[in-house]
Amino acid sequence: MTPLLTTAVIAAAINVLLLLALGSVWVRNYRQHGASHTLGLLVFAAFLLIQNGLWLYFYRLHPAFIRWFVNAGTDVQIGMVLLCGLETLALLILFRITWL
Amino acid sequence: MEGVLWYVLASSRGGPTRVRILRALDERPQNANQLATGLDMDYTTIRHHLEVLTKNNVVRRSGDEYAAVYLFTDQARSNWELVEEILETVDPEE
Repeated sequence: MTPLLTTAVIAAAINVLLLLALGSVWVRNYRQHGASHTLGLLVFAAFLLIQNGLWLYFYRLHPAFIRWFVNAGTDVQIGMVLLCGLETLALLILFRITWL
Repeated sequence: MEGVLWYVLASSRGGPTRVRILRALDERPQNANQLATGLDMDYTTIRHHLEVLTKNNVVRRSGDEYAAVYLFTDQARSNWELVEEILETVDPEE
């Protein structure tokens, strides 16, 4: 694995962990009071969880994708890392205001 | 304001606790110490939630002195129907 691919994998893995933590708060709150606002966030988390699961599958288990990534130019590789990395930043901000 | 209120009171980890604090403040303005006693909760926990509510412009301190009581902001007052709807959703009164 190239360092950039490793970075992308780590970002996607952190996203999964953050989404599970956020989802656990929202599931608990939704079961308690059933507010549609909380349900909306829960659906949002579920979709992002699927998205990051797919990324992990491509990054780690899909030989054709990995070959394409390794042979793609640095611009493409950095772009792919940013897709997951910027999401990590966004989720960290959301985590901060949700956990407090 | 609507999104902030739903988020702070219904969709964050401390939401249910903050709802209890708002209900107590709706009965009468109180300081952090009175809230801690009345709700049988840790003083620092109460201070933490009051700080979140203050930062999000839901409540404000009356004066700067140590024992200042907390009041609803004008913004919370002008959205009062929504606040009540959220309180009823998160923690229905018997």
